[in-house]
Amino acid sequence: MSTLRLLLVGTLLHAKQISRSPFEVAIALVVPVVQATLAVYLFRSGGEQHRLLEAAVGAGVMGVWSSVLFGSGGAIQNQRWQGTLEMIMMAPRRPALVILPITIATGITGTYALLATLAWGRLLYGIRLDFAHPVAFVVAAVVCVVGLGMFGLLLAATFVLMRNANALANTLEYPVWLVSGMLVPITVLPAWTVPVAAILPTTWGARALREATSGGPVWPSVALCLGISLICLLVGFLVMGRVERRARAAATLALA
Amino acid sequence: MKTIRLMAVGGTIAYRALFNWTTPGMFVGTLLVGPLFQLLFFAYLGRQLQVADDRFYIVGNAVLTASLACVFGGTMAVANERRYGTLGHVLLSPRSRTLIFWGRVLPYAGNGLLIAVVTLTVGALLLGLRIPLSALPGLLLAMAAGSLACGFFGLTLGALGLRFRDVWVISNVAVALLLLLTGVNVPADGLPGWMVTVGQWLPITHAASAARSFAAGEGFASAAPALGRELLVGAVYAAAAVILLKIFETESRRRASLDTY
Repeated sequence: MSTLRLLLVGTLLHAKQISRSPFEVAIALVVPVVQATLAVYLFRSGGEQHRLLEAAVGAGVMGVWSSVLFGSGGAIQNQRWQGTLEMIMMAPRRPALVILPITIATGITGTYALLATLAWGRLLYGIRLDFAHPVAFVVAAVVCVVGLGMFGLLLAATFVLMRNANALANTLEYPVWLVSGMLVPITVLPAWTVPVAAILPTTWGARALREATSGGPVWPSVALCLGISLICLLVGFLVMGRVERRARAAATLALA
Repeated sequence: MKTIRLMAVGGTIAYRALFNWTTPGMFVGTLLVGPLFQLLFFAYLGRQLQVADDRFYIVGNAVLTASLACVFGGTMAVANERRYGTLGHVLLSPRSRTLIFWGRVLPYAGNGLLIAVVTLTVGALLLGLRIPLSALPGLLLAMAAGSLACGFFGLTLGALGLRFRDVWVISNVAVALLLLLTGVNVPADGLPGWMVTVGQWLPITHAASAARSFAAGEGFASAAPALGRELLVGAVYAAAAVILLKIFETESRRRASLDTY
């Protein structure tokens, strides 16, 4: 119970903190809307007007991933810059339990992106929000956000060691958008990307949302997204513990 | 000669001091691998939607990838001086402020050109685009013009950093808008008129158009008008950056707010 409370209070604290940052909010709101606009005009130019809702959802998921990616990298770096990383690591709970709320909070901030792209599409382009499975869409969105938050923990664990974690984050944005099939179907990508896509929770989260939008078996994708995310969480716990001990032993926590 | 030395040496020293990603791994990952995946993302999306052919996406996005280094670099040239508390020292220099800041843009424009060349080369090899050898000098020229215009665009945004607290929001939004408005990913006839008009006054739009002409095997005469327009856009931003820097510097001195956030 106390662990659950720690996670809930921590997530709320960090979600509040992120939502007070004009930079985070502006990026979470504006950039996905630009991406959604680009997707809408691209799909229109390609004669795919019937897939505009799918395009808006895809752009929203891209925004969620960006939020988690930059949030997880930035969260550790921000704690480092604020001088609070050592205090977090010295808390009488496992480091992963203290960091996980940060990464889940970045996922929750990312839902701004999903909501913004849907609202933008509805208001400006008149895209009807006719989801094939509305309830499944909400469930898939929640699983996707929480799942990406868990994946973020694994990223954060590796980011603790890196001085310029945000630079690595820059590198990972487009590859994951591409390989996960958020806008580009995986079927048009080279065959070698298929196994890479299969182990990413982003692939199954995006697929679940797409199937809930346009029709298809949503629940297997939801289950796979959740399953892979839980594995990421477990690996993230282990890696975070090892990385933390290594950083303490080398006295590089604040300097890494 | 002194002017050239000021711009070249000053720009190089500032680049080494202000550019954050100091390790080769970070440079390659952020500025070469990331943009390459950006190109692949839009090339595959374009293939799937059949909006335009591979040449359209590969050449256009290769030119656009320069914007990452140039816009953020140009912004960094001013904003990081302020962040590290050295802006006051720069503004105390007895040399021309215009030359100092224009010199700052040159290394980032070179960076952008390098990124565009690498992205085009690797992207073309991976996706099987054949570019005639005779087109290479023209392509290099178009990418250089785009990088330079983008660098001055970044410097203009950086100047806003003297007035606004968080200039990185502006830079991030600007980079995203370049994806949409420059016609690199959506052909101009697929965009509303006002977006096309705005795009005409942004860097990259005309450089991408010129580069596509060169890659298609058309001669210099065909690409020259677009190249000229790109250079004009760059010159407009170079002038705008100097004017804004002057205005905001004067205001910052008057209000004693140069280093405050």
